[in-house]
Amino acid sequence: MAEPTHNVIIGNGSAGNGAAITLRERDPDSRITIITMGSLPFYNRYDLPRVFRGCDDWREILVHPLAYYDDNRITLRRNSRVTDVDGRSRSITFAHNEVMHYDQLLVCAGGRGYLPEELSDYYGLMHGFHSFEAAITTRRALPEGGTVVMLGGDMIGLDLARTLIDVGYRVALLANEYTFWPHRIDADERGGFIAALEHMGIEVVDGMRPVAVEEGAAGTPARRVVFDDGGSLDGDVVMPFYGLVPTAEFMLRSGVDIERGLLVDPQLHTTDPHIWAAGDVCQIWSAADNEYRFYYGWTNVRQMGEVAARNVTGTNEPFEGVDDERLHIGKDGHILSPFWEH
Amino acid sequence: MAEQRESTDIQFAVIGSAGDGTIAAGDILKRAMAGLGYKVIAFDIYPAEIRGFGKCISRVRVTTEQAYSLKRHSDVLVSLDDSYAIPHVGEVCDFGAVIYEASPIARQPEGGHITAHIRPTQLPYGLNQREISERATNAARSRNIVVLGYLAGLYDIDPQAFRDVIADKFRSKAAIVTTSNTAAFDAAYEVGKTVFKLDQGSLGEPVHAREGETATMMTGNGAIVRGCMDAGLDTFFGYPITPATTILERLAAELPKHGGRVLQTEDEISAISATIGAGYTGARAATATSGPGLALMAEMLGLGVMGEIPSVVFVSQRGGPSTGLPTKTEQSDLNIAVFGGAGDAQRIVLAPTNVDGCYRTAGKAFEMAEKYQTPVVVLLDLYLSNRYETVVPPAKNPFAPSMNKGLDAWRGEGAYQRYQKTDDHVSPRAVPGDEGGMHTVTGLEHSEFGKPSDLPENHMAMSAKRHEKLKAALTHPDFTICKRFGDEGPVDVGILGWGSTFGEILEAMFAAQAAGIRCSAMKVVMLSPLPEQQIVSFMDDCGAVLVPELNYEGQLANLISGALGRPVTRLNRVTGAPMQVEEILAEIRRLAQAKAA
Ligand SMILES: Cc1cc2nc3c(=O)[nH]c(=O)nc-3n(C[C@H](O)[C@H](O)[C@H](O)COP(=O)(O)OP(=O)(O)OC[C@H]3O[C@@H](n4cnc5c(N)ncnc54)[C@H](O)[C@@H]3O)c2cc1C
Repeated sequence: MAEPTHNVIIGNGSAGNGAAITLRERDPDSRITIITMGSLPFYNRYDLPRVFRGCDDWREILVHPLAYYDDNRITLRRNSRVTDVDGRSRSITFAHNEVMHYDQLLVCAGGRGYLPEELSDYYGLMHGFHSFEAAITTRRALPEGGTVVMLGGDMIGLDLARTLIDVGYRVALLANEYTFWPHRIDADERGGFIAALEHMGIEVVDGMRPVAVEEGAAGTPARRVVFDDGGSLDGDVVMPFYGLVPTAEFMLRSGVDIERGLLVDPQLHTTDPHIWAAGDVCQIWSAADNEYRFYYGWTNVRQMGEVAARNVTGTNEPFEGVDDERLHIGKDGHILSPFWEH
Repeated sequence: MAEQRESTDIQFAVIGSAGDGTIAAGDILKRAMAGLGYKVIAFDIYPAEIRGFGKCISRVRVTTEQAYSLKRHSDVLVSLDDSYAIPHVGEVCDFGAVIYEASPIARQPEGGHITAHIRPTQLPYGLNQREISERATNAARSRNIVVLGYLAGLYDIDPQAFRDVIADKFRSKAAIVTTSNTAAFDAAYEVGKTVFKLDQGSLGEPVHAREGETATMMTGNGAIVRGCMDAGLDTFFGYPITPATTILERLAAELPKHGGRVLQTEDEISAISATIGAGYTGARAATATSGPGLALMAEMLGLGVMGEIPSVVFVSQRGGPSTGLPTKTEQSDLNIAVFGGAGDAQRIVLAPTNVDGCYRTAGKAFEMAEKYQTPVVVLLDLYLSNRYETVVPPAKNPFAPSMNKGLDAWRGEGAYQRYQKTDDHVSPRAVPGDEGGMHTVTGLEHSEFGKPSDLPENHMAMSAKRHEKLKAALTHPDFTICKRFGDEGPVDVGILGWGSTFGEILEAMFAAQAAGIRCSAMKVVMLSPLPEQQIVSFMDDCGAVLVPELNYEGQLANLISGALGRPVTRLNRVTGAPMQVEEILAEIRRLAQAKAA
């Protein structure tokens, strides 16, 4: 009997999981493997602010029951970082030195928080929000009613800020050009949106450039953010939110074209016939814009996964992204974003 | 998630290849946990070959409440070698942890790394075992100590308990061995302490032994040795055989320090002959063997019965027949222990069910051998011989130094009659050197003087004497010949068990009770003579009687249904591994349902 086709998905986020179930529906006999660097099954990242409302258990934010993987015959490989993909031999190498063969590969490796070069030395002094583990660690570092200094903002950080304020923490935001990422804001609208943030209870510090993060002196909060003019701002934790950049380094030797993300055609096919990409990791060709561009947000990402999976299994359908990037101010004076409607 | 648990019941399985230090890691773990006051049951499995490579598993169950067996599912699996650990990933319970080498040097084929096998319900913890060991010690050898440090950090266990055991373990080596292993432990402890914990909190507080008592870790064979020492064993003759060899080894180290003697004989026949010879002289004498050795000893045991000479034979059972499965456990030597040999050769057969029982039974075996002038066979098995448990040794030596009915008891007139008929059927026993005690001992049937006699009335009377005297053993002072556990009065299901399997039986019984089934269990420690009365009254209370045993034929079931004419339900397994609690429980449920229907 011939070996079943091995469809391998790198990425256990919305794109990867949307792709996996679509593949299962369309190709009942194939072998499906989802690979992730993380140690948890697929959970809802949009639910991560709940951690600051007391959610302590990752099982509460899982998207599927744990039996889902067996029920759908999907193998989940956790704690398995891919370091290399070889398009010619169709093999993947893991950091733990295992080599895996694929017949068709879907890269759904998402993105990670961008950190400006000048702040990279201070990474160890900052707190994260990119994963359940990071969110819990951050919460544990925050004293009751403590202060979070957010660098940048972005819609992920602002979403968290809403919860933090709601549960009694202080949020000081160092606003900059990333504050409303991925929304594009016209210069004349910016003041209004900044005012809306203040109305939401966020203490906005605009126009200051952070150049260092230090441990706070004895008797002061645990962290101090130093500005280029010598001024500073204290907080219990410092969290960078500068938007996301694609996680694509492990594809450098794969043979596919990469700019910032993996370059794909509207059918989400890379330049390798056996490799597709979906989600935050890819830049999709847009004839209208005459450029490869990113489509962010949960609706786009999930849809990309499904479209890529359908194309892996024989269709040739283009991805049609939802391009609603407008930011609004609601009747209550608070910011509204389609990014947050999930 | 990081809350303090009220009670703890956590089982660790360390799996690696011979040479990885797997058994040593398990040893340090169990000793550290026992030192902290937890109750521990542990069992190691290693390759059948004496040298070379092969799979090693050390399972350690740590509890705050008393536990009676190892669990089928471990809560934590530590892999020191994925190729051996992978087949055991399925044994890890839901939300149990799998700890493994995150950065193996060798290239792995697809599926060769353990992450390929960890289920979505299990928690993966990658650890740079080799790297941490190399950084701390300049060598990869301490990976086994690294995983211990990580466990201590992850489960918030007092690291000093481990450091103490590490220092003790390497005491006889150069100081650098202790320092470097401690450094490896400490480095990994920090990693375990800071790693994000996906589930478990810290362990519950251990229940410390009562004041004046100190709990120690012992194997079944270790407890046998201790029982022998406390009972005042004089001479031991042995021939090595797995899994009894450690009794010989330990006695060889201990007994001479206390004025006793140990001799390794050329074979088992010599060992039992010398034991009986020593017993004849009045010494407390013993030997230890396994099934194949017992087969060789059967002939001489008959002499011990006929000559009414005290001797103790410890038999640690392994898979049989013949050479069988030398490193696998089984309970298939009950028949030969009770019946083996020529003629009506009844002797006392005892089977302890746990490590504490090994100690008591060993000591009491000498009392009984002397008091009833007979060979006593003590049946263990590999699982009980090698398994570790925390035990609290008694503050006072519980064994009588002598129970010999000596020449002083001779009330006869005229020449001394070694086999005089008495009310309790036990005759005064003179030992060489006792004045006026000269007599003949022979394997032939004999008169009261010991002279050969084949007269029909004599053989009838002497056969009766040799059997009747043993009945008193059923009421031997301060010894539990059988005991009932669980529900009192009528029950749906009763379980009769013996030997090491009784731990699993108890756990299954408790689980069945928790599921609302009325049931009780009886352990039968004295298998010959059989406590028929107690067994019958237990069976009278039971809707159905289950007899789980690690043998194919149902040797206890046969003994009971043969002697008592009562039907029983058999549960027999010969997998080489201990009986699974779940298997017994499933059978209890089935019987309870059948009764309800
Ligand atoms: C905290 C947070 C909150 C967010 N909130 C919102 C929101 O409110 N609304 C919204 O629309 N969007 C939100 N986003 C953005 C949104 O989550 C992303 O657009 C979406 O998750 C992208 O999905 P994805 O499947 O492409 O990748 P991801 O969800 O990022 O998943 C990437 C996967 O790839 C795996 N991976 C990456 N590299 C490797 C490798 N080398 N080896 C193995 N595995 C690898 C990762 O382990 C992970 O499983 C949020 C993002 C974050 C981080």
